[in-house]
Amino acid sequence: MAKKNQVKNKIYIGNRFVDILLVLFFVIMSIIFIYPFLNVIAISLSSNSKITTGQVSWFPKEFNVKGYEILFQEAGIWRSYLNTIIICIGFMICNLSMTSLMAYVMMVPDFVLKKFLSIMLLITMFFSGGIVPGYLLIRDLDLMNSWWSLILPGCLSAYNVFVYRAFYNGISHELREAARIDGAGEFQILLRIYVPLSKALYASFGLFAIVGQWNSYYSALLYINDEAKYPIQMVLRKIIFTAGTSDMVTATEMLSNGDLNPLNVQYACVVATALPVMVIYPFLQKYFAQGVQVGAVKG
Amino acid sequence: MEKKGNNKASGLIVSQQRFWKKLWRQKALVLMAAAPVALLIIFQYVPIYGILIAFKDYKPKRGILGSEWNDPIFKEFIRFFKNVNCQQIIINTFKVGTLTLLFTYPAPIIFALMLNELKAKRFKRVAQTASYIPHFISVVVVCTMLNKFSSLGGLFNDIREFLGMARVDMNSGTKYFMWEYIGSALWQGVGWGSIIYLSALSNVDTSLYDVANLDGANRLQKIRHIAWPAIMPTTTTLLIMNAGNVLSVDFQKILLMQNDTNKNELHVLATFIHYQGISKAEFSYSTAINLFQSVVSFIFVWCTNMVVRRMAPENSLW
Repeated sequence: MAKKNQVKNKIYIGNRFVDILLVLFFVIMSIIFIYPFLNVIAISLSSNSKITTGQVSWFPKEFNVKGYEILFQEAGIWRSYLNTIIICIGFMICNLSMTSLMAYVMMVPDFVLKKFLSIMLLITMFFSGGIVPGYLLIRDLDLMNSWWSLILPGCLSAYNVFVYRAFYNGISHELREAARIDGAGEFQILLRIYVPLSKALYASFGLFAIVGQWNSYYSALLYINDEAKYPIQMVLRKIIFTAGTSDMVTATEMLSNGDLNPLNVQYACVVATALPVMVIYPFLQKYFAQGVQVGAVKG
Repeated sequence: MEKKGNNKASGLIVSQQRFWKKLWRQKALVLMAAAPVALLIIFQYVPIYGILIAFKDYKPKRGILGSEWNDPIFKEFIRFFKNVNCQQIIINTFKVGTLTLLFTYPAPIIFALMLNELKAKRFKRVAQTASYIPHFISVVVVCTMLNKFSSLGGLFNDIREFLGMARVDMNSGTKYFMWEYIGSALWQGVGWGSIIYLSALSNVDTSLYDVANLDGANRLQKIRHIAWPAIMPTTTTLLIMNAGNVLSVDFQKILLMQNDTNKNELHVLATFIHYQGISKAEFSYSTAINLFQSVVSFIFVWCTNMVVRRMAPENSLW
């Protein structure tokens, strides 16, 4: 008996040890996940001398906001914020409405074109024209330098339609029949019954659409040449990977004076680009996680 | 004999009439489908038709139909296979794709199983939230961070120095590319990828654990016999999807990681397609390479699906 207890104790101690190791592991992981971004924020707000001597880690040292001043005055960040918001909202509206319409008609059991539309969608899951045919199409449609070129091509994806349809199928068909007997048209049924009952779906997929669009740069790289129409990611790309801060008068002056480190402006731009999504994220975490799960039901 | 044929024909006409009648009755639905279908045709099917230029000497002024057919028809494909870099590009694509799969596929599974072992619920939630954050960072921001951290005074070099290694400019050349590429993919994807497994784990009946505890099962036994069976189906489904996508390398990231010191070696199919098609305006050539990539990818998806259909038919895509 006593021996058995001893063995149990050993297991218990062993278990506690593993528990502590696990906690330690996740503390380190969390630091790895968060630290790089905190470091970027800290450096963007520190003085040149502290940055060059490599003393900045978690918190800003010798607080300095000149990087942000230059960014917001000279780099046209406000305009690109506005551009990005318009693109994101436009994309979200098109994405949700088009996907809803398509998913709804494909859910109606006796719709004659149901099979045809399914096949049409499925084909697009496996075949696509590719970069150049897409590019030539936008050029031929005269959508170059128009935000429609960022909104329309990606706004209907087969995967989303199938997820929506699965979600709509979870809503009782009797409800639809009852509404039809009461004389409601199909569009009204979608608008008055299906949309209100799918709030969770719209919250998640609306967020995915906005965040996806906010973070994308490639379409804009292909289709937008006019810098006045750049979304924010392209501004960041320009500052970091192509032009640097060379076309900003005050920046060059301050750099030569040693008041400013190039990283001040560059990291300020990183923060300006990434922070909006990160700030809203904790509040909306529920919907994001929910969206992954809604997708998984079908996947 | 003749009569039978006649019947068949009239039957066809009747069913055709019935179809049009039904379509007319459902005109509201047809109208609703009109806008999304138009989008589908214009932005998905017209580019598919545009693939024709891979076989033509495409001149923008003459249009797709007006341009001359290539002679021989596979001229642009042959040109690619004869390119000195062709082999290197294809090898690179496979290397990047398979190595990424090898690391990014199992990591979220292990991460989820470990998170599931955490007893303090509150800490678990904090760790989870932290792990999702990198997922929301855009590829431009990630590449900026990689670029700056890899420079001589950057974070990666601080770590190297701490570990007793010399500081080097990790941005130059291709030596550190794979580390940075896969490392950043893991950093961004491991937490987010674990959500789907965690939700499968949260559906496990807790009484199973109580019974296992009574039977004196140890931690590993519980993972093997309770947690693993719960996530098994999800792991196979995701393996198929990932294996099929092995060629769809994150070329947007690679485009941003290219610089003067490495851009000749650092090409995968997709970046080469971009470079030829957009930067050099070699429309037909680029489309031909793109078509080659699509065909190979499709064969991959097809093969994985075949294997799965043999082994676990309920998980196959078709």
